Amino acid sequence: MSGFLSAYSIQNWLESCPQGYLEDTQYGHAPGQTEPALVLDNPTLLADTIRTTVQLVVGERCALAASSGLINAAPDHASKAFLATQTLDEARHVEIFTQRLYDLGVKKSELESTLAEHANPNLVKFAEVLLEKVDKGDFIAGVVGQNIVLEGMAFSVFEMLQAAVSGVNPKFANTLSGTIADERRHVGFGENRIGSLIKQHPERKADVEKMQKEMAYHMLATFSTQFAQSGSAMQEGQRMAQAAEGNGAEAPAKWHGADLATATPEEMEGVLSDTVLKEFKVRLGRIGIEYQTPAAP
Amino acid sequence: MSDPHDLPKEVFLDEVHSFEFWFQAVAGYLTERPNGHDPSIEEADLNSSEREALITTLCNYAIGETAALEASSGMIRFAPNRRAKIFLATQVVDEARHLEVLLYRLSELGVTHLEEVVQSRANRSLLAFRKRLLQFVDGHDWEAALFAQNVILESMEFSVFQAHVERADPITGDMLTGIIKDERRHMGFGENELGRRLAETPHIRARLQAVKKELDPLVLDTFEDTLEQVGVERSERPELGRSYLASVERLGFAL
Repeated sequence: MSGFLSAYSIQNWLESCPQGYLEDTQYGHAPGQTEPALVLDNPTLLADTIRTTVQLVVGERCALAASSGLINAAPDHASKAFLATQTLDEARHVEIFTQRLYDLGVKKSELESTLAEHANPNLVKFAEVLLEKVDKGDFIAGVVGQNIVLEGMAFSVFEMLQAAVSGVNPKFANTLSGTIADERRHVGFGENRIGSLIKQHPERKADVEKMQKEMAYHMLATFSTQFAQSGSAMQEGQRMAQAAEGNGAEAPAKWHGADLATATPEEMEGVLSDTVLKEFKVRLGRIGIEYQTPAAP
Repeated sequence: MSDPHDLPKEVFLDEVHSFEFWFQAVAGYLTERPNGHDPSIEEADLNSSEREALITTLCNYAIGETAALEASSGMIRFAPNRRAKIFLATQVVDEARHLEVLLYRLSELGVTHLEEVVQSRANRSLLAFRKRLLQFVDGHDWEAALFAQNVILESMEFSVFQAHVERADPITGDMLTGIIKDERRHMGFGENELGRRLAETPHIRARLQAVKKELDPLVLDTFEDTLEQVGVERSERPELGRSYLASVERLGFAL
């Protein structure tokens, strides 16, 4: 096993994840924590929170299918072992975000219909581009699509959500902190493992860059439609957060320069898109892939 | 954790197939066995032929665990429901963990170039079994893949590992004891999932019979080879072969 891959062993994963930051958690948060009344009692916020959580489940289901599907295509035991831990991480994310839907009042019998109703079609297309590569057993494109593009997007989205809810929803903020720690590890593996494979197979660059461009397009389209739908809920959330702040609650944070207490949906869409795309450029550059700017959706 | 058997059926299935349940089940013995075995156990004094036989045996266990890893991961995509997907994800990590600790044990025995050595010592029947199992997976054949993987392969490993533990050096025995605990959970999932399907759609029994008939010779041949390496007397081997068939039968697949 090469040196860096030994850092991605199951032994290390066991010590850092289930026996580390997940110890004493239940569905990713401290036992007993609940969704706040300001979400559960406000129909506008509740509907928007369910819609947002649906996108998280859809994204994590894609990540579960991709990481498990890539195990057979992995060229060595160490990569298979890492992808096995990632598979379980993604399954856990599916489980905890699904549990959140139940906590928000979605009935178990209505889970699939709720997902089908609210899944963003652009996010579904994003997933299809990736899973097509996985189905072909294309390890290089699959890992770039999964561990750089999908995980890079998820990482920034989770960070933004965590900043937005940290003062008002400790349960969800805790859930997100565990997933962010997982995503950081996944992105690290993608950069480390694929860099050497791209060097060995430079002929694969063009195909991988085409996939990245296509995925980035569907990602931006997803952000656009999500923020367009969330306008009234964001305003409602900001109004309630300000009221809670007056009662001693923590003030909403800033995220990448955006004041979450006052930012409009358009501003937040711009900040999130810029943040994710900048990350893509840096991470793709590290593995020898040239970032391709997608068309504006 | 309270006894999950007290829960209503659907809640029970959600519970036992969850990440949370997996974590509670494995946390104890994983913590006690960094790299798969109790670090305080001292290496036994193996002679050259014993060491070589153990290396060959562990190489074939690694082939079996790789097959299980590749199959269980490939099955997630077409598993029929969320709880099956999540259970299989826990099985994926179990299988990868088994592979990792087997490779670690091989390195403790002085093996370098692990991937090449494992391939060079692979039993042909086991490789043929692996190939057929992955064909079921590639064909998204849920019943056949689950039967071959969680009933036949897991039962074979369960029987062989149990026989080996009785004769193994202390470190290998401790490692296999941990692995056996996981195999029980995997067999339970296969039994439960296929049992329900057989009850709902009895016609799949004929298909599974055909799968078993095709795979049994490969399993029994692998069995024979491995038991010889492990040091099981020739006279005892048919009994252990019957034990494997009986464990499949106990799962409801006498077929």
